Formats: sequence, structure tokens, C-alpha cells
Amino acid sequence: MIEKERIPMEEQPGPRSKEELDANKMPFEEYCRKVFDPGNEFEKPAALSGVRWMSCTMYIFTPHAVSNLAELGAEVVKIEMPRMGDPMKHTSPFNECYYYPLHDERPMTGQGIGCVNANVNEYFITMDYHREEMKEPFYRLVRMSDGLTECYRPGTFDRWKQSYRYLMEINPRFIYVWGGGFGYGPKVFGGSYDILGQSHAGLASITGFHEDFGGHPVKHTNWCIDWYSGTMITVGVLAALYWRRKTGLGTMIEFSQVQCATRCCGYGVPLYGRFGIVRQRWGNWDTQLCVHGIIICGKSDYPDAKNPQLRDEARYVMVSAFNDPDFKELCNIIKRPDLYEKYQKHKDRVEAEAQVEIYDALEKWAADKSRSEVVKILTDAGLLAMPVYNDMEVYESPHYRMRGTVRWQFDPIFGDQLVHSTYSCGLMSKTPRRKFWDFRPVGADNVKIYHEMLGYPISTIKEWYDKRLI
Amino acid sequence: MCDIIWCKKCNTVNYLDPFNFWNWEGKVKCAGCDTVYYIYMIQGQMYKGPEERPGEEPDILPLYADQPLNGYEAFKPGIEGKTRPYNCLPREIYLGKADWRKFSIRNWPMRAWAPQPPSAGIAGSHGFKWDIEKLSPEVWEEFLEKKKKGEVRDW
Amino acid sequence: MAKEVEIRSREDTFKLTSCDERPWPVTPPPSEEEVMKVYAKRKAEEFGKWCEDNLRFEYAWSKPEALQGVRVLEVGLWRLSHMFAASLLAELGAEVIKVEPPEGDPLRKLTPFGREEYMLEDQYTGEKCGLEFIHEMRNKYSITLNLETEEGRELYKKLAKTVDIIFEGYPPGWTDEMGIGYRQLSEINPRLIYVWIGQVGQWGPWKDRVSKFGQWMLEPFGQCACSFVHNTGYPPDLMPRGKGGDPTRSGVWLADYVAGEQAAVNALAALYWRDEVSGEGQFIEVTAAEAMMDILDFDITWYGFNASIKARTGSWDPNLNQYAWNPCKDGYMMIGGQTDRLWYRICMCIERDFPQFGRLITEDPLLKEMAARNALEALVKTYTLTSRWLRDINRIEAEQKLLEYDIAAGPLLYIDETCEFPHFKYRPWIYTIEDEHYGTILYATPPNAFQMRTPARVKWLGRPLGKDNEEIFMKRLGIDQIKLRELKEKGVV
Repeated sequence: MIEKERIPMEEQPGPRSKEELDANKMPFEEYCRKVFDPGNEFEKPAALSGVRWMSCTMYIFTPHAVSNLAELGAEVVKIEMPRMGDPMKHTSPFNECYYYPLHDERPMTGQGIGCVNANVNEYFITMDYHREEMKEPFYRLVRMSDGLTECYRPGTFDRWKQSYRYLMEINPRFIYVWGGGFGYGPKVFGGSYDILGQSHAGLASITGFHEDFGGHPVKHTNWCIDWYSGTMITVGVLAALYWRRKTGLGTMIEFSQVQCATRCCGYGVPLYGRFGIVRQRWGNWDTQLCVHGIIICGKSDYPDAKNPQLRDEARYVMVSAFNDPDFKELCNIIKRPDLYEKYQKHKDRVEAEAQVEIYDALEKWAADKSRSEVVKILTDAGLLAMPVYNDMEVYESPHYRMRGTVRWQFDPIFGDQLVHSTYSCGLMSKTPRRKFWDFRPVGADNVKIYHEMLGYPISTIKEWYDKRLI
Repeated sequence: MCDIIWCKKCNTVNYLDPFNFWNWEGKVKCAGCDTVYYIYMIQGQMYKGPEERPGEEPDILPLYADQPLNGYEAFKPGIEGKTRPYNCLPREIYLGKADWRKFSIRNWPMRAWAPQPPSAGIAGSHGFKWDIEKLSPEVWEEFLEKKKKGEVRDW
Repeated sequence: MAKEVEIRSREDTFKLTSCDERPWPVTPPPSEEEVMKVYAKRKAEEFGKWCEDNLRFEYAWSKPEALQGVRVLEVGLWRLSHMFAASLLAELGAEVIKVEPPEGDPLRKLTPFGREEYMLEDQYTGEKCGLEFIHEMRNKYSITLNLETEEGRELYKKLAKTVDIIFEGYPPGWTDEMGIGYRQLSEINPRLIYVWIGQVGQWGPWKDRVSKFGQWMLEPFGQCACSFVHNTGYPPDLMPRGKGGDPTRSGVWLADYVAGEQAAVNALAALYWRDEVSGEGQFIEVTAAEAMMDILDFDITWYGFNASIKARTGSWDPNLNQYAWNPCKDGYMMIGGQTDRLWYRICMCIERDFPQFGRLITEDPLLKEMAARNALEALVKTYTLTSRWLRDINRIEAEQKLLEYDIAAGPLLYIDETCEFPHFKYRPWIYTIEDEHYGTILYATPPNAFQMRTPARVKWLGRPLGKDNEEIFMKRLGIDQIKLRELKEKGVV
């Protein structure tokens, strides 16, 4: 008792205030909600404040790598082609969704939502690298920035005297990132597409239904491999920033998009290397766990809906019962205890022929039920099951709304937009990510950057604009 | 003619889409003249057919067909009795061209129609405001109307 | 040298295909001179040489590591998400310790179709380990600690005091209840960056669940929860439902990888903030479903635009034509080219062999405009005719013909072909490592391995369970091997 009194209050372990005491006793869920505080991100600092980056990028892969930095608080300047903008701005699903304007000179051309989420929070300027007059502003920007990311064919920036061996002379702290399809080697000039990444890397050969069942390899939706590869660059950039704190030196990173897709092929590569076995597709089931797959139910959850995605497609369920007691319970529910008798050990039921038999039985059982019925029966029995959700259900989900993953934002230029990026990359309690805007018209920040940051007079900017240098 | 059935009776080209028909056996009906053809496709090669099967019912309809000698008159997906429907669409309507909208699904203004009145400053600059009242006052009016009627939602 | 072989079982094939019989690479990579010629075609030999001199994979070993000195703990079971996050940091030089229960991470026991012959055996202990685990256990130490015991948790807390970053993947609230969650650890180590990585959330109406019998929720739940699975696959209009015309999951646990890399980004950004600005750590939560949702392009924004629910389109792309793969004589061929210039070049290339193609495509008024070519009918027609050409040629021929016209085209490669692709051997993204325990293993190299100053690298692959107990317990906790034996007997380690 006396010992404790001698230690000053501030130095004793445990909560130091009532707030802290409350925080420590709060139920965990409530604690998480309080500490992450979705919706109030702007009150907290940004992790990468003070970092400035140049985005000489196009399409999705390299822009996303830089956009991650912008979401974390870096100031990013995106450089586009004069009047045209990023080519990605001209894509839109089924040609249907565009925001206007792209540029006042082309009032009937919009910015497609194909490039949404890829250039978040950035300042958009235009610059024609081919023109000699633009070298000086480019170098000024380099001297004032921490790094750049570019995606032009190798040798292009070098010809324009903008590659790393030139830039490291004027800014030794500069971090230079080249992102593209292949990198040095025989296919160095190969163009890089997301779909090329999937097909060359072996990822497409292991996704889709098996050949024996009449299946073909299938493409991952939209361009998600582009995005996945882009984030890997960001990891490299942040590591380079860390190392630079110690040594004061920048670096050059050469990054191949197609390689990232091979990196995520899991056991496929070592399996081939050691045993010569080439992994094949296995559809909606899992090669290493059983039962752990997606089954089709007899009825959709919205039989009267107008939208075909609801009326016809909302009938798939992800079921997972690979541990022995779970599998036993599952067999009881589908009234096939013989399956459990036959496949009591996981090693037996994960074999290919066994999986065919088991899933067939599962789908027969589900053939007269709707998706939510199946999920309810399994969940009530304590097993893990979840519907395969579609975009509408994600929008209406109380879970994502509460966590701020899906939210509406009124974009400064384009108005109301439904956002599912940025905040969804992760909750950070002290330096959360945030989104100010999605994209901006071509050249929207020419004055802001050229005049206010780089010090060029307005008359010069007007002249450049008329000469189509910017 | 394989992967396509060029029906010589009516000069309609019926397109047999590559994934469905890659390994397939059965009867397809021509979209132009209702003749039923039997085919047996293996690895995309027409192993047997097309053979006419008069009087028999088809197993499947083509997804799309057109007539090259007739200005490429097209039979789009979903014509009753001629082509099979393409159901897997994101909405019940399919536009295929820009969907101009002034309001999002929750009835807040959205700058998604053309043409927009010019609003750029020097060298294409834009600020950080969509001055709806000034640039598109009719939309602003409509927005206020919707608000009054309680149609403007949070979600 | 030909020889007679009798094959009566799968096991018989192993002797023929093992890396002793058939070492990788089967054919050597192209030589430097051949590659210089490629650079020369676009007048970039000097630049190409400069790049290679500074970025070659093989030079990584004489360069420093970017994250040297950063200490990371990885604690979780079953999943790849926390493993991948920690791998990314370990490849860049961080010191990563994987804390496993005394029985080991259950992922060690998983193997395709349960085939134990595909597992690798430790040459010292005979212990078998699955390839999925080995491939993702890069540069990490393995220690065992029983977190279900109080003494185990005390030791864990002491360990947590010495580290910068923790990647944790237990079910929601479990570590908190055990007194070793962020709330408790941040008291004793306010500089700690704590990252929880899961499937759908550690809080919220859809948070991760554990089944009544204790089974965890694993990928592809994350993929299903964010609409990725719904949007991927062939539509039932192109393939029969139940036989491929269904929403399809990725062949790999993709959302785990995506969550892992975002967790690494967030952790490194938090590290930057801590060291540059504040001196404070923080709590970070990344989920597979949400990280995956971030990269679904415009799918959910599209719903907010006009209530469209993204539909699947197989291996065609609804935004671009041509941008797809289609079946050919020996597999599948990808052809890409949306602009008018590329569109007509593809026509020119194909009609050399198949004049009908040129006629049916170029005469059709509906296909004249770029935007109109994205209409579904246009996609059906274009790809049907393209397959008609492709069915008679194999991938190599198709690629050569298309490249003559400067069209981006590539074959769909199977994993063995990827491993033997000349470019991927020259600039290795598959490589071998001779591991002390498991022998020679072929693995996918880190994409961050091509850097001028601090390239990523794989120093070891796989780690027998608890191999580093003695070293780590001594170095970090001051516990010698006698004490360690006692702890082991008590079941703490």
C-alpha cells in the first residue's frame, strides 16, 4: 500500500484518465468504432503529409500506385496530354457513363467512369514532353518533388533527358519509378495490359471451370490485376522513402506488372518446379479445402425484380465446412450422413472425385431453395455461409455503411458520386486515408501548379496554352 | 463455314459464339429462315455438319446473326424465335450510348450530361466548385423542387 | 538420351520431372547480345545497358536492404493475408518473426487435393510442409508460443514491446479478450503499429465469424462479400449455367493478397508518420472484402450513377473491343487493340488467312465507330470470327502473325510455360533457391527486386516449425535453452 503511494500517479501503469478507463472497458466493437471513427477522417493528420510526387502515368496500373500515396496525404501532380487527357478517361462500361466536361474545347466528350478511383486527390496539369520549352518546368517540378512514377516505353524518357540518370544529378533524393509490362529483357517494349498480365502470368490458366467440365479460363473482372500490381509499387516506394531517411539517397525502381500476377499464383510455381505438375483450373471449389466452395441454389432471391442481375443471378452461396465437425453437421443438414461416413477425414474428401460427389449432393439439396434460405439454414446450424453479393447489395449493406467503406461524396467538379475506394483500403486510427475528389478536367490545375507552385507568370502560361505546349 | 453457319437458303450468317460452341453437338436454327441445322463441333472445328434436319426442333438459337448481302441487316440478341436473348445485362435496358443524367440515384445533382456550359479559366483551369446555380440554373431549380418534395435522400 | 519408362501411377512421374532429372530452366535464357539487339531496334542500347547494369536481379545481393532494422511480428492462422503483408516487408529487409502455436500454422498442412506427395519434407526432421505455406514463408523466423496459456501471453507481450509492426489475423476481438490486443499492447508500447487483417471486418454487422465448431472464415469469403465473384465469370448467355456460366471465384485467394499488400502500404505509411512526425503507433484494420472492393474499378460507382449492377462478361471486356482471349488450336490467345488503328490492323492480319473475316467485319456499317464496337452484338460477331481464324493456328503462330502488325497479342500461358518464357528467365521472375531443409525450390521472385539501391530478395523459403525458438527467445527475451525446455514441457512453447 505504502509502496504504491510513493510512485507518482502519472507513472503508475493503467489508465490515466476517465476517458482512458472507459476506452479500456468498452466492448471491443464499440472501441473499434470509436477509435476508427469513420466519417471524421479529416480531423486527423495524414500519414504522408509533406511528400510530393509526380504522376507521369496513364491507364490504371501506374496511376493507382501513385493514387495510394495521394490518399495517404501526399501532394501529387498528375501530368496529362494537352487537350486529350489520360486515355483511360475515354473508357466507360458499355459506353454509357460519362461525366462532363473533359475539356471546354470538346463539350460533347466526357470523362468515362473507367478511370474512377485511379487518380484520387491529385492536381491535374497538362504538359507536352516532346517540346523543348517544357524541359525547364519539368526540371523545376523534379527539384521540388520527392519522386515520380512513369509508364512510357523504356528509352522514351531517356531520349527526353528525363530518365533517372539525368534526374539523379539534379535531385539526389529523387525516387524514380518505372512501371510497365515487362522490364528489361527481350520483351522490354511489350505493351502492358491487365488482360495480358493475367494471361501471361499463368493466373488465367488457373481461374475458371475445369476443362473436363466444359469450362474455359476466365478473366478477373475489369482490371483488378492492374490495381493489384499498382499497390505493390507503392510498397516499394514507401520502403524507398524509409531508406532515404537514413541515407538521403533516392533510387530507381523498375516494376513489371505482369510479374505481380505470377507472384500471387501461390503453390503453382513450386509445384511445377519440384514435381513437374502443372496446376489446372478448379472452378468455384477449392483445391486445398473441402467443403469450401460456391454452390448454385435453385431460386434467386428476387424472382420478380426487373434487373436481370437480381432476377436471375442472385442465387449463389459460398459455403465453408472443411473441418470435421462442420462437415459432419453439413452432411446431416443435407440428409446425407453417408457422405460423412465415407469421407470422415479431410484428406479423403478433398480429393478431386470426392469433391465432385460432395458438391453434387450439396447442389441437389439446394436445388429447391432460394439463396437466402440456404444461407439461413446453414447459418442457423452454426456453419459458415454467405451469399455471393452483387453491387446493389454492397451498396445497401449496413456493414459497409457503418464502416464508411461505401459512401456518397459530392465531388467539387462533378457532383454526386458513390465512392467505394480509398476508405476501403483500410481503417487507420490516427492517420486515416481520405478522398477530396476523384478526377478533374484536363488541365484543371495548370494555373495552380505552373503559376502558384513553379512561379511562371500568367502570360507565359497563356502563351504555352495557345501554342499547345500545355 | 464453321463457327458461323452461313445459311445458303437465305444468306444469313449465324454466329456461333466461341465459348458455348467450342465443343458442342446439337441442332441450331437459322435466324433468317428457320431451317434447322445439325452440327458437331470439336475444338472449334466442324466435325460434322451443318446438315439440314427438316422438321426437327432446335436445341439452341444463335446469339446474333446478320445478312451481308442485305446491308448487314442484323438479328440482335433476344428476338423471339430467332435469336436467344442476352440476359446477363447490368440493367433491364441496354443503351450502348452515353446515358445523360442530371441526378444520381439518390437525387443529388450529378454533372453527367452534355454539353456543359464552358467553365474553364486560363489554360483549362478549374477551381473546386461546380457553380450549379450559375452554370445550370434549371438543374438547381429542379434540385430544390426535389428537396421540397422529400425526394432527395441520404442513400 | 532416350530411355524406356513405365508409368503406372502418379508417383512414377515424379522421378522424371524432379529438378534433378529436369532442372529449371529447361532451355537457357536468351543471351545478353540477343537482348541488346532488341534494344537497338528502338535505338535504346545505351539506356538498356544502363538499366541492366543498375537493376539486374543478380546484383541484389551486393546491395543494402531498404527496411533493415524494422521489426515485425506476424501472428495468425490459416490465411495468406497476414503472411503476404509480412512477406512484402521481409523481402525488403525487415526482420519478421512468425509466431505459431505449438502445433504450427494449419496452413502448413494444406496441399492440393490432399496429396501428401506434393508436400516437401524437411531433410532433418522428416516433417512435411505444404507448398502454399512454403511459398509465402519468405525470410521469416518461426517461433512457437501458446497464446492460450497465460505465460505464453506474457511472453508475447514482452516480445511485442520490442517490435515496430504486428500483423495479426485472429478472429475479431480474440486477442483483445486475451489481453494481447491493440488496446493492451499500445499501453506497453505506444510506438506499436498494429494491423489486423481479416475477411470482412473485426466489427460491424457482417464481421468475421467463427463457426459453432471453431472453424475460421477464409478466402474466398472476402471475394464474395464485395461483389468480385458476382462480376467475374461467363454469363449464362455464353456458357450454360452450372457448367461455367456462373459467377466464378479467382483461382487463387486473391483478396487475401490484395488485403496483405494494402496492409503493408498502410503499415509503412504509419511507420513513416511515426518516425518523421509523431513518435506514435496506431491501430490499422484491413479486410479482404474491402481491399478487394477498392480495386473493382467503377463497379459500385456505376450503381450510384444509374442503378446498374455490373454483369459478368467472361473473358471479353465490356469497355473495349478487341480486348479478350478466345480459344485457339492449342489453348487460348489474347488479342488487344481498341483504337481504330489497331482494329484495322487486326483485320488486315486475319484476312490474309481468312478473307471472309475482312469482308464480314470491314463491310459492316455497325462496326465502323469505335464506341459502337463495344455493343454486345459487335463483340459476339468479332470474337466469333476471330475464333474461326484462331482455331486453325496455335499460339506461337498467332502471336508472330499479329506482332508483325504491331498488335499487342499474347498467348495464354500455363504455369509451366510461364516458367519457361524467355523474358521471365532473362529478367527472372521465376527463380530457384537451394534451401537447407527442403532442397531446390522454384518460386516467384518479388516484383520489387529490380531496384537500383535496395532491391527486394528472398533469402530463405519455408521454415521448419519453431526452428528459431532458441535464437529469438535468447536474443529478444533473454530466455536460455534450459528455461525454454521447461516452457516446452509446460506447453507454453
